[in-house]
Amino acid sequence: MREKTGMKIAVIVLCIFMVFALSGCLGGREINDLEIVIGIGVDKDEKTGNVLVTAQIVRKQAAGSSPGSDGGGDEKAFWNVSSVGGSIFEAVRQMTHKTGNRLFVSHNQVVIFGNDVAAEGLQSYIDFFLRAREMRPTVLILVAEGRASDVMDAKPETEKFPAMNIAKLVKTYGFTSHLYKVNMKDFASCLMSATTASFAPLISVTEDEGSKDVYVPGMAVFKNGKMVGKLNHDEVRGVLWVLGKVKSGVITVPSPDGKGKAVLEILETKSKAMPEIKDGKIIIHVMVEEDLSLSEQTTAENLATVSAFGEIQDASEEVVRQEIMAAFKKTSELKADIFGFGEMLHKKYSKEWKSMKDNWDDIYPTIELDIVVASRVVTSNLLRNPPSPKEGDK
Amino acid sequence: MNIEKGKISSSQILFLLAGFVQGSVLLIDFTVGITQQQTWMVILAGLVITAPFILSYVALAKRFNGMNLVQINDMVYGRFLGKVLSAYYIFFLSMTLSFNILDIGELYVNFLMPDTPFIFLLAVFATVCAYAASKGIEALARVSHLFVVTEIFIIVSTFILLIDQMDFSNFLPLFELPFIKIFQGIHILSAIPYGETLVFLMIMGRLNNTGRMVKYTFGGLLIGAMSLFIVSIRNTAILGKTQTIWTSASFQSIRLIDIGTVLTRMDFLIGVAQTVLIFFKCSLFFYALVTALSQLFGLKSYLPLILPLAGIEVILAATVFQSPVDHAMITQNAGIIYSAPLMYVFPPLTLLIAKIRNLPGQERGGGR
Repeated sequence: MREKTGMKIAVIVLCIFMVFALSGCLGGREINDLEIVIGIGVDKDEKTGNVLVTAQIVRKQAAGSSPGSDGGGDEKAFWNVSSVGGSIFEAVRQMTHKTGNRLFVSHNQVVIFGNDVAAEGLQSYIDFFLRAREMRPTVLILVAEGRASDVMDAKPETEKFPAMNIAKLVKTYGFTSHLYKVNMKDFASCLMSATTASFAPLISVTEDEGSKDVYVPGMAVFKNGKMVGKLNHDEVRGVLWVLGKVKSGVITVPSPDGKGKAVLEILETKSKAMPEIKDGKIIIHVMVEEDLSLSEQTTAENLATVSAFGEIQDASEEVVRQEIMAAFKKTSELKADIFGFGEMLHKKYSKEWKSMKDNWDDIYPTIELDIVVASRVVTSNLLRNPPSPKEGDK
Repeated sequence: MNIEKGKISSSQILFLLAGFVQGSVLLIDFTVGITQQQTWMVILAGLVITAPFILSYVALAKRFNGMNLVQINDMVYGRFLGKVLSAYYIFFLSMTLSFNILDIGELYVNFLMPDTPFIFLLAVFATVCAYAASKGIEALARVSHLFVVTEIFIIVSTFILLIDQMDFSNFLPLFELPFIKIFQGIHILSAIPYGETLVFLMIMGRLNNTGRMVKYTFGGLLIGAMSLFIVSIRNTAILGKTQTIWTSASFQSIRLIDIGTVLTRMDFLIGVAQTVLIFFKCSLFFYALVTALSQLFGLKSYLPLILPLAGIEVILAATVFQSPVDHAMITQNAGIIYSAPLMYVFPPLTLLIAKIRNLPGQERGGGR
């Protein structure tokens, strides 16, 4: 009997002890002690050559108040803290000398690398962002045309936080398909491939009468982690056509009567790339299907006719073909296999690939592209005819 | 002579086995670094190769109805040799149990509760396992189907949530790796999720009837293997080449779930599933370990051994490896070697000797 009571007491004591230790509060951090980071910029420190990390921290008081109510409209809702260190982690911890608290990076949206860091190679900078526990693999990567800290300083007009604004710019790439969102996991995957080049959206600051805006001018191309070149909007879309990542966008073609333009919206796309080795030559068959809508026309002629649609379709197919060729030409010059053709060959012709792997840089520009585009204009939206006098009325 | 009175039905073996194999879901990471995009094949190949050995466990349990492994060893190899062999099995059980306790500790420290003292996590976990084991096999068997269904639900739902991000060309080229790597992968997988089912030699003796046992055993094994298979398909399709770099590929793929920026941060799903299943696996191991040990020493009940053993296991788990790197290294290389004879040599050998000597002969059912 005595033994049983002793046992019971032991169990109760144990349970009470467990409640304290296992509630998960041991590592608990109160929200007012958190320095919530929403964006990180990585630059090279000009003086020392070390890493300069800039973290964008939410200022809770300023962020919480609704705009206008606080009276101080100029008050920033964010605080950009920077610190210098021999490595990223070192710099991040150095930051506690300024913030007093450890950074809380779980809600980080973007990591922006400065131009100089990107040119030096991201291989030596990216590890921390993949390894750290609080970091998510879905964090977006960008490359600043100048310095990352400048980009993070440009206060947006509608958003409170520059980093959120930048993340929004990238996430809505689908409206134009002139850029593409690249996250840590995707970038790491390209870094691990021996031949596939990776890319990341560029971001730059434009200054217009004192107000600064951020803008995505294209994408940076990386080879073995080093930035080797840039793609403009059309070239980026050329890449995305092949990768099957075009969501929407605008294609402008001359109208059939030559007096104006027909502006088309891309509604839906499908694409496929298949490699083939024929007589020792590598051919990549690219098939693109697109559904378009006539969204605008600048000529008085009615373009919503079967024959005009036919001509517009042909012209739009040519535009797609040229975008793809432009992208291929640019990347051939850079010898950067941004399309992942090497991996496609690896997957389909794994035996032949072994001999190609080592001199892929020289083989890549010799690839032949066989592009087949099929486009359909499926709607003319709200107008059946343009608002112009009919033929007979003139 | 039996140290436990509890009885289980043969259909419960199905869920016990399924849950046990599912408990190793995170352990396929030991193989991923070696077999990369071909892991899914290795999972199936491992199952096929291990199946005959598991069949031999079932045949042993059927032949020596109502007896556990230690009793079988005593009868077949004689008192001395039998005890030595049983001690070898007990060594394996206690090491593997401590590794599994360590696994859950690493999981928590890495992903769920980074600031909680490691030893405390281990101790509490081991205490819960010890409690479950003290309630006997009947209690565990009764809840097993709940665990299995939970895990299947989590595996299937995460698969569906990630389906739009999957790239099935990640599985190509199909046959690229040298055979030696595939062989090593098959060895690891056949030893870890499948071969470890030899703990059931301590459990099958508790069956109230051995009819249709083969069917239920393989049913359970198949459910377990399919769970591993779906998880490996999910990880490879989502992570591609990068699946080899993460500490836990499963965790990393779950972290990628992003449905309309609302359904994100689903890490807890894996946390819940793994805690439950590793608990289940460890409890079975613990049960097998204490019953084997008390049988070896001829105790009347296994209950007095539970707490001291739990303490030993925790200390083992906390001190045996310096880091997860060490852990993976030893498991991939040494662990599968010392456990190999126990899985692939002794059970068929025991069966063969029993056949030749016509054991257990007339005195069937007794452990004398």
